[in-house]
Amino acid sequence: MNRRLLAVLRKETWHILRDWQSLIIIIAMPLFMMFLYGYALDVNINDVPVLIVDPNPTPETGAIQRAIDKSSLFKVSQTVRTAPDPLEVFKTTDIRAIFRFTPTFTADLRRGGAPAQIQVLLDGSDQNLGTILRNAVEPFVQKTVFDLLHLRLPAGITVSQTILYNPQQKAATFFVPGLVALFLMMISALLTSLTITREKEHGTLEQLLISPVRPIEILVGKIAPYIVLSALDGLIILAVGRFVFGVHIMGSLVLLSAAAFVFIFVALSVGLLVSTVAKKQEHAMLMVMPPTILPTVMLSGFIFPVASMPLWLQFLSAALPPTYFLTIVRGVILKGVGISVLWPPVLVLCLMGIFLLVLSVRAFRVKL
Amino acid sequence: MNFLRLIVAKEFAHIRADKMTMRLIIAPVFILMFVLGYAITTEVKNVTITAVDRSNTPESRDLVQTIRHNRFFIFTGYAASESEARLMLDRGGARLALLIPADFGTNLGNGRTADVGLLVDGQDANSSNVSSGYIQSIISLWSRGVLKERLASAGVNLRTVLPVDVRPEIFFNPMLKSSWYMIPALAVVLVTMITALLTGFSIVREKMSGTLEQLMVTPIAPVHVVMGKVIPYALVGLVELTAVLVFATLWFRVPFHGNFGVLLLFGAVYMMSSLGIGILVSTVARTPQQVLFMLWFLLIFFLFLSGLFLPLEQMPAWVQKVTLINPLRYFMFVLRAMFLKGSGLAELWPQGAAMLAIGGVVFGAALLAFQRKVS
Repeated sequence: MNRRLLAVLRKETWHILRDWQSLIIIIAMPLFMMFLYGYALDVNINDVPVLIVDPNPTPETGAIQRAIDKSSLFKVSQTVRTAPDPLEVFKTTDIRAIFRFTPTFTADLRRGGAPAQIQVLLDGSDQNLGTILRNAVEPFVQKTVFDLLHLRLPAGITVSQTILYNPQQKAATFFVPGLVALFLMMISALLTSLTITREKEHGTLEQLLISPVRPIEILVGKIAPYIVLSALDGLIILAVGRFVFGVHIMGSLVLLSAAAFVFIFVALSVGLLVSTVAKKQEHAMLMVMPPTILPTVMLSGFIFPVASMPLWLQFLSAALPPTYFLTIVRGVILKGVGISVLWPPVLVLCLMGIFLLVLSVRAFRVKL
Repeated sequence: MNFLRLIVAKEFAHIRADKMTMRLIIAPVFILMFVLGYAITTEVKNVTITAVDRSNTPESRDLVQTIRHNRFFIFTGYAASESEARLMLDRGGARLALLIPADFGTNLGNGRTADVGLLVDGQDANSSNVSSGYIQSIISLWSRGVLKERLASAGVNLRTVLPVDVRPEIFFNPMLKSSWYMIPALAVVLVTMITALLTGFSIVREKMSGTLEQLMVTPIAPVHVVMGKVIPYALVGLVELTAVLVFATLWFRVPFHGNFGVLLLFGAVYMMSSLGIGILVSTVARTPQQVLFMLWFLLIFFLFLSGLFLPLEQMPAWVQKVTLINPLRYFMFVLRAMFLKGSGLAELWPQGAAMLAIGGVVFGAALLAFQRKVS
């Protein structure tokens, strides 16, 4: 390796190590996010407080109440005889659902004929919880009443489901592959653009350029340490995922590394492009975020399902490299599929990488 | 007081001079708001599904037709075998696969319980729960329909088969729209990010260029320097809050039932915390990059524990205790309650008091830290 390149490399590595605060954050942040997701956020909805309005208590309504209280989903926090204003209840208490028996409930139930009625009022202000309750409440009540009357549900269809890829339905499993994508993007794109902009801001880039070091050596020397850093961070995330959260890599490590390498180049190119435009570090940071980190988090399917978005956002999502990388990472880690299945996203990612790399190196040359 | 005015004027001059930073901060806020308003959705729609029909009877075809016509699902065509269906799931071409066994039609015809299989792409627990719940309720509705027909031909009315009638009614957000829930929360994220980042950047800039020391040797008290830096950004924050409100109600049609003045009051109280965090970070950080990283780190922590995605009441008890010191938690609750429930000071004063207490501590600590740093 030539000496000039080595000198730039050493200088950049020194810069990275000197700013140990940033280094700690880069390494600690993904771990921290994993722990939050793995432990704090793996929630099952249970014991939602409910209010029961029972104008005419009978053994039947009492039995239904006990069944509601005993269920894992609900917890009866109060029973009243006259219905209060539901808006007031939802605004001032922690009650999220009101079950209201009609006065003639038991009589209707005993008579048969017309079905007895239960009105269920739900607090929709928490949309998540509201959706879960809305989907759960009808089958739950039907089943309770059937059990109470010692009836069997009419013979119908049973569905036996097999959950693939994440059988225990753990949030951490879903999250680890996404974190790899996010941090590769963050380190490669953000830090590269920052380090070049910083030299521009201090005027040291010009000093470097009038030195005997060739522009391509400056470029490679400044970027290479960040490739190593990204790879290290990715490895740490995968290792913690494997040994702490039990997220095994089902597929080929070679394919994963190759895809990660291509993705790092995509991110570096974006960082380079931004650094040719930005004049201050703050600008570089703010410019890098919209095309890289935000779409990685918001539009790639990292957290929110792309299929639920409007069509124009789905197109936008399809134009962004993280979407493809995430498909590959999840495919390899969770599904254990190989290149025979994953060749389309790999191909798209490679093409995007070549295009962006050529574009950014050109722009960088022109700028110099 | 005169000094304070001067510093405020100086900061505004900075803001005007560095139009780029402002532009880079304000423009993305609106783009973000626009994009995120659509993108942040926990609703599950357009779920792709395939089917393997080994029974190939009128009943099985009718069941698949029913699913095909349901607007939650996109039917991607039949698969020839279970392994082909599995491959479609591997490729990501389908998220669910319905496996109808060969004896489906005969079992159903004989009044026996028929069994179908369902392969679920379970990567995302939330999506897979919701979509498999949908499919199961479609199937049970369909089988009830089949049963009803058969009973009707035997002269029995199905209404006697189902003893109860359950009627869910949903308040505040009757369509359970994700955007109504998420956009008020987005306001919290944006206001926090902008006020903390701008304050942090501004102070670190002066530290780096050495002008902070120059300010310190003037007769201006450190408190005034801090206040002078904070007031302009607090105003930016309030303007932003207003902009988000306008955008949310006019574009996304999120109902706003609260009082605008009360909203700004809560915003101002909340910003004591976000601005205080910005100052605190800037006393530790040496470069803008460190400001960004530290704030980011804190923001992720606070956001996860704010109830942004998941109901706080459902988190483990110790996590809930941790969230009590999180100012974002209260502001998020306040904004959502003001938008959807139309709550006012009467209901929200406990949250307001909590924010005031936390804000007082954070801002006080920030002032102290700043004073110690510069002296």
